[in-house]
Amino acid sequence: MLLEVKKVTKSFGGLVAVKDLEFTVNEGDVIGLIGPNGSGKTTSFHLIGGFLKPDKGEIRFEGNDITGLKPHRICQGGIARTFQLTKPFTGMTALENVMVGGLYGGDPNQKMRQAGEECEKILAFVGLGGKGQSPVSALSVVDRKRLEIARALATRPKMLLLDEMMSGLTPAEMDGALDLVRAIRDSGVTLIVVEHVMKAILEVSHRLIVLNHGEKIAEGAPQEVVNNKTVIEAYLGD
Amino acid sequence: MTKRTDLITWFTYTLLYITLSQSWNLLGGYTGQQNLGHAAFFGIGALCARYIWLYGLPLPLALFAGALAAALFALIIGFPAFKLKGVYFIIGTLVLAEILKTIFDTILPRANVLPSKLLNTYSLTPRYYLSLIVAVLVVAFVYWVSRSRLGLGLMSIREDEDAAEASGVNTRKYKLTAFLISTFTAGLAGGVFAYYSAAAQPGYLFSAVWTFDAVIIVFVGGVGTIIGPIIGSVFFVLLKQLLSLYLPGGSHLLVFGILFIIVVLYLPGGLIGFMAKLRRASSSSRKKRGRKSQIVT
Repeated sequence: MLLEVKKVTKSFGGLVAVKDLEFTVNEGDVIGLIGPNGSGKTTSFHLIGGFLKPDKGEIRFEGNDITGLKPHRICQGGIARTFQLTKPFTGMTALENVMVGGLYGGDPNQKMRQAGEECEKILAFVGLGGKGQSPVSALSVVDRKRLEIARALATRPKMLLLDEMMSGLTPAEMDGALDLVRAIRDSGVTLIVVEHVMKAILEVSHRLIVLNHGEKIAEGAPQEVVNNKTVIEAYLGD
Repeated sequence: MTKRTDLITWFTYTLLYITLSQSWNLLGGYTGQQNLGHAAFFGIGALCARYIWLYGLPLPLALFAGALAAALFALIIGFPAFKLKGVYFIIGTLVLAEILKTIFDTILPRANVLPSKLLNTYSLTPRYYLSLIVAVLVVAFVYWVSRSRLGLGLMSIREDEDAAEASGVNTRKYKLTAFLISTFTAGLAGGVFAYYSAAAQPGYLFSAVWTFDAVIIVFVGGVGTIIGPIIGSVFFVLLKQLLSLYLPGGSHLLVFGILFIIVVLYLPGGLIGFMAKLRRASSSSRKKRGRKSQIVT
């Protein structure tokens, strides 16, 4: 078992964003985390990634308690994430963006040159080959998403949390992004994917977890879950 | 003869400003943490260096001790200060410098004049060389940092703290590191000024002028670049001297204030960015003429 989320609760004032959330992720899994707007998907990512501290509950990664650790520690421990609204280091080149991940989240003892070469490879892997010297401002929306993933991959994660990487993409770009997700999976990285685009999530994930009002309402194989009555009600209203 | 001493004074001030603005630039420009209490560290460095030097210890030792004192003070206040983010950090540091200014203005004598033995042998030349050595060292060091792993980390904090954390950067630790380097070098600048001044007023050493001069120089020259503060310093001292010929004393601040506003609003890259823009514009217009059909962006 790679990741264990045990009875995790987080509230903001009176609003319970995530309630008694429990799930596990095995190595090599591709988990789809879905649910209507405001159901607690991104909050769950914030909790796993260390951007929020759970009020209650425990999160274990590779058997170690990581609850409440700072994000950089969690990243160094092997969990990388991307942000729903991409957060590139705008004033830097694409390569420099990725090198931050490589030098801080990956191997801190790397030489700059070495890190540069490795990060060029990662850029090529995500489809940004040859764009290393471009400033972020010269990159398109889809390229920024790819850059975000490259930076996360440079930290050499065992698990990657992808937050809505399909949003804002054209259907053609989406196919490219799906290929990338598969390539990441095949490289041995475990994935948790938050996604609104159902087609995308059904195609890549092994298992779906459905949240509604911060609670898990269903979990299972994609086709089963999408035909589940509670899930349909949650999406369409009763 | 007076012309020559004037020139040396200009150069000395320019070099002092290069050191001071570059030290502010490391934290404010590269790391994105605008410290408006920079004068406090300049003042601490200056006071310590001056008293230790006048006590009879060798000058390099006095300078080092002053810089170290500034960095130590930064270490003490760094932990609470970096709990403040954004504008609160800026206000906090500003207030801190003002508090120190008031304290030292009250407890120390109004002016610390060099003893007559030193005053009689006072010469500008060693002051000039000292400011030159320190400026070269500080610029070289900041340049080295900017090209290193540390520099990448600092810039990532400036661009996006959350994304930096998510990429494995211990933002708290590296902000503090930048703060220590920045204040150490500000303390060095203070030491240079302490050695230069025939008479030093503690209140003036801690005066906010040092902070704002550095901030203006960095922004006008080009924030977050190595060359920016150098060009900014040359420009600043030159303009200050020229203006003082024609306008009443102190009115250079008015000009620089306006310049600062213009730069922040219309030229975020400062003079450096402006020149780069000009270069790009001229080269792209050349390209346009060469290949009319192609759209050059």
